[in-house]
Amino acid sequence: MERLGEKMQLSSVFQAGGLNYALISDTETNKTIISELPLTLSEEFGALLRGSGAKPGSPLVLEASGRVEGYGVFEFPYGPVSWGVPEAGAFSLMTYGERVLKVVPRLNFKKRGIERAVLGRTPEDALLFVERSAGNFSAAYSTCFAAAVEDSLGLEVPSEARWTRAVALELERIHNHLYVFGRLAEAASQNIAATQAHALRERVLRLNSRHFGHRYLFGINSIGGVSRGLPKDERRTLTTEVRLIGREFSELVQYFLSSRIFLDRLQGTAKLTRKDALGLGTVGPSARGSGVQWDDRLTFPLEPYEDIYVNLETEDGEDTMARTMVRVKEVESSTIALRELLDRMPSDGTKSGPHRRRADSLGAGFSFCRVESPSGDLIQAVQLDGGGRVGSLHVRPPSLVNWLPFARSLEGTVFTDFQFAFESFGLSFADSDR
Amino acid sequence: MWDMPKIWVFRGLKKGILTTAYPKSQPTSEEVPTASLPPRPTDAVDWSAGERGCPTGAIDSGGKRVDLGRCVYCRLCSSAGFTFDDGSGSRAGALQAGLTGRHAAGARRIFGRSLHVMMIDVGSCNACNLEVLNLSNPYYDLSRLGIAFTNSPKHADALIVVGALNPAMVDALKMTYESMPEPKLVLSVGACAISGGIFRSAEGFVSPVGDAIPVDVVVPGCPPSPVQILEGLLLAAGRLKETGAMR
Ligand code: SF4
Ligand code: SF4
Repeated sequence: MERLGEKMQLSSVFQAGGLNYALISDTETNKTIISELPLTLSEEFGALLRGSGAKPGSPLVLEASGRVEGYGVFEFPYGPVSWGVPEAGAFSLMTYGERVLKVVPRLNFKKRGIERAVLGRTPEDALLFVERSAGNFSAAYSTCFAAAVEDSLGLEVPSEARWTRAVALELERIHNHLYVFGRLAEAASQNIAATQAHALRERVLRLNSRHFGHRYLFGINSIGGVSRGLPKDERRTLTTEVRLIGREFSELVQYFLSSRIFLDRLQGTAKLTRKDALGLGTVGPSARGSGVQWDDRLTFPLEPYEDIYVNLETEDGEDTMARTMVRVKEVESSTIALRELLDRMPSDGTKSGPHRRRADSLGAGFSFCRVESPSGDLIQAVQLDGGGRVGSLHVRPPSLVNWLPFARSLEGTVFTDFQFAFESFGLSFADSDR
Repeated sequence: MWDMPKIWVFRGLKKGILTTAYPKSQPTSEEVPTASLPPRPTDAVDWSAGERGCPTGAIDSGGKRVDLGRCVYCRLCSSAGFTFDDGSGSRAGALQAGLTGRHAAGARRIFGRSLHVMMIDVGSCNACNLEVLNLSNPYYDLSRLGIAFTNSPKHADALIVVGALNPAMVDALKMTYESMPEPKLVLSVGACAISGGIFRSAEGFVSPVGDAIPVDVVVPGCPPSPVQILEGLLLAAGRLKETGAMR
């Protein structure tokens, strides 16, 4: 019927009560609009979002536009077993000589079917599945789910718990960004720097385990709160540790940026124009590297993000370097945010009501939540049934919508850029397949 | 800018201190965190005290035995009287990789000095993958033990399988296993690979890895910590007695 306007970005489509709905982000007024689905989806994007609901075992092939054929064009398969991408997922690469003409991601090699597995379970039991959708974004997943369920129940949650969740989210962001940085350094054969980045990341994982009880932050959330709080003295030591890690990382980055070899590999590599970034629904650091001003912590702030300072880090380079620099700067701004979170965390037992993200027009007990995961905007829409069990769950993972931008960025590049592009987008098959 | 290399040499020296002393001595509580410790029943086990029960059915009906291959280390059973950490900081009982019984005699002679390892993901959440990759960071430094990663099954002595076996990965797993030269070792790493873990009732789970290809060593955990995976590798290579001591 109507096409999406300039400033509207289609973020997700899902089913509720037997009807199809679209979740649309108004990038100008920062509103989420949920509408029934009469609008014409752009073909690729519509197929992507609908196809993501496929059953385990059936592949999801993200064929963007027409096939590339001709004399000298080779199609070669990559994956699902490879070391360059240490996860199960595959690509078809269409090449002409050195040139990459087109990349077609092939997904669902690891679809476990989380959304259906949680149906009929209590939200507490469902959390165990949700936090294991993508191990490296576990805090984002469980916080998003818990907040959506709390909203739908109209639960009050202690402010301290909400702040503790934010601490976990920022630690998760730091360890993921360090991972991406380390992998890029590896790809550029900068072994010392890679080793140092991975060592710093190990320190963050150990902090996670010491203060939250799990290296990947599983089990930190429960419905209505967190499973373990951060006592005052721990907040102090955590602040110090995080500051040290942040400082060592910025030294490392400086060293790195003085290396011509490294810069040459990143600059101008795998460009994604701002127009494409917006048009393909790109999210997270990958979008911000192309100048898109979007970060759920600022555009859809959950408590406590309205209260603390988070800098919106963007770059205009549109290339691998820009995406990397967004992540580098976010490590620093997360460190600063963590200091404030840990310093000002309320301990007076105040509670705060739901985030007003209920969407009762869709049916009773329906709500959604958006959380900025390390790789971008994660959306979950939850509906509880009459007995308080999960009646439907829709997940729109950040990696899922970033595949097409990733593929677009590789068109016309040379094959050796593949690894750099892949790592800089921070893509995870576990996340997109779930 | 010229003083930069000095810093890196210095860091390189510090690295020696970072690296775990395992397997020469027991790992520390940093290296095997409490969350990676197996649940142990106590005399006070009483499921009626904990409301939720075990989500993976890892505990038998009598409440006295835990099947570690199923356990996802969620610690919900702590409210029913299971303990995890005795508070001593000792990790002597923490190592838990096990042989499946089909492990070849003479493994130490064949694989004892050098072991080439390949990882295959058949449907994980990515945390197990990351813990395997972490083995090459300076805190664990696999290479000091003569263990190296390889990306080709043709060069691999051992295959680490992570994840809940997905219908789309069954053939790839079998083909990878087939293309490894004999003699070969297989490790099931993580609850997902051993039993399906939390996903054992999910649509995307076919069967335990051990039903698709022969498995030599299991490493329980969700995810197991890097040291626990290392233990599995040493065990597979015949370099550990099952008690956890270096042979
Ligand atoms: S830790 Fe969780 S999965 Fe393991 S035995 Fe206890 S309740 Fe079951
Ligand atoms: S065992 Fe746990 S950590 Fe490993 S892949 Fe399965 S869910 Fe993830």
